[in-house]
Amino acid sequence: MRIETLNLSKIYGATKAVDDVSVSLGDEVQVLALIGPSGGGKSTFLRLLGGLEVPTAGAVKIDGSPLPRDEDALREVRRKNGFLFQSFNLFPHLTALENIVLPLVEVYGRSRAEATGRAGEVVERFRLTDHVKKQPGQLSGGQQQRIALARAMAHDPALLLLDEPTSALDPEMKAEVLDLIAELCESGQQIVLSTHEMGFAKRSADHVVFLAEGKCVEDASSATLFENPETAMVSAFLQKVMKW
Amino acid sequence: MKLFLSLTVSILLGATFCFVFWVVASHDYQWSAIAPYWKNFLNGWTTTLLISAAALVLSILIGALLTSGQLSPHRVPRWLSRAFVEIIRGTPLLTQILIGYYLIADTIGWDSRFGVGLVILSCFSAAYLAEIFRGGIESIPKSQWLSARAIGFSEFQTYRHVIIPQAIRRVLPASAGQFANLIKDSSLLFVISVHEFTMQARETNANTYATFESYLPLILGYFILTFPISLLSRHLEKRFAYEN
Ligand SMILES: Nc1ncnc2c1ncn2[C@@H]1O[C@H](COP(=O)(O)OP(=O)(O)OP(=O)(O)O)[C@@H](O)[C@H]1O
Ligand SMILES: [Mg+2]
Repeated sequence: MRIETLNLSKIYGATKAVDDVSVSLGDEVQVLALIGPSGGGKSTFLRLLGGLEVPTAGAVKIDGSPLPRDEDALREVRRKNGFLFQSFNLFPHLTALENIVLPLVEVYGRSRAEATGRAGEVVERFRLTDHVKKQPGQLSGGQQQRIALARAMAHDPALLLLDEPTSALDPEMKAEVLDLIAELCESGQQIVLSTHEMGFAKRSADHVVFLAEGKCVEDASSATLFENPETAMVSAFLQKVMKW
Repeated sequence: MKLFLSLTVSILLGATFCFVFWVVASHDYQWSAIAPYWKNFLNGWTTTLLISAAALVLSILIGALLTSGQLSPHRVPRWLSRAFVEIIRGTPLLTQILIGYYLIADTIGWDSRFGVGLVILSCFSAAYLAEIFRGGIESIPKSQWLSARAIGFSEFQTYRHVIIPQAIRRVLPASAGQFANLIKDSSLLFVISVHEFTMQARETNANTYATFESYLPLILGYFILTFPISLLSRHLEKRFAYEN
């Protein structure tokens, strides 16, 4: 993926959630991980990359062209992406299957039959076929998150953006969702994810951006960042989170 | 403490029921006095049913309009809807009926008592429904909006497929309660001589001086209309509680 940010900032009231971040990633990066302390700006940065938020200053360039600022054009950008959030992402009044079918019909203009067929393929790939008739409230957290991932993948997104996809899950469910994401990474899907799972970031990401207090403290290939962090802040952070 | 409370409540309410029952039962009824008027009662009851049903439909429409005004991004419709709701909710229905009929309807030369009564009652109920609807829409978590935006839904699609279907479930119990109020409130329309149920009882009383016999049918007649709604409202409340 070619992602560039130029002096990117997002300010909420008095909080600089993302503060003057400039990074440049080339085609060799297929999976990008955003790490750093809580409140560091990972989610905000991810939303800016995905076109869910308009920057206060600076710009995001995807494949050389800057993201638009007006809502209608941004919506077109979002429609090319797929998103997954920490939790409560599905629509609780619809069945799991309908959660996947509805966007295909309403946003991508597929016929109902076509959309249902496509949804069937994705849930089969994600081994969820037994659960499609249930409503989100009847599914475990891990199953809900896998359905949400199926929804995000159903239209073959150019870029998949995952915001702490496993933070709200207990260990066993974490593993089942991480397995699935690892599979997507291996299949060549372009992914940006924010995560507190350092093991996963180290193994699956090509490149890592470390954000703290809105600043990009370090960005490097994941081998470099995890083995030889440049700054004291990153090495202290890694020591702390890797300790347990 | 609990036992003391239950005991007090039982005694107080039990005594009240006994007293009222004794008053009602010990009266020397002259049903023959009002017997010739049974058709008037039936007509009045039917009129109450009709005007309530029509006001129900109309108040949902006006209520929805007021809600969309209050949620509008523009200031003028927001202020106007807010003012309408506050004025209606802050003044007695009786006053609204009198001013609406003798001042406003008279000025525009509309003298259908049924029609004017229907519109005033609908506006009154709509102001309460608008607050219920707005509360319902605002109770849908922000994460649902984010989710819908991420999928690429427009604002209209978000309301139509995500927010409104969920909000409807949440506002059903309270709306049902408001409909029961609407039926009872229609009894005030006697002040502009709409020939509804209460009006008929008053006229019968004036003609026969059989006060008990004229007013007792009101209790039964209104209760038959409101009790099923009250049951429905309870049922919906329970169902909603389970879904969460
Ligand atoms: N919509 C918002 N309105 C106001 N402040 C916000 C908003 N979103 C984020 N912030 C603030 O911006 C800062 C960065 O938040 P962000 O959620 O991007 O951090 P994060 O790195 O994702 O944290 P975490 O690991 O806890 O998810 C925080 O101080 C947060 O309070
Ligand atoms: Mg976050």
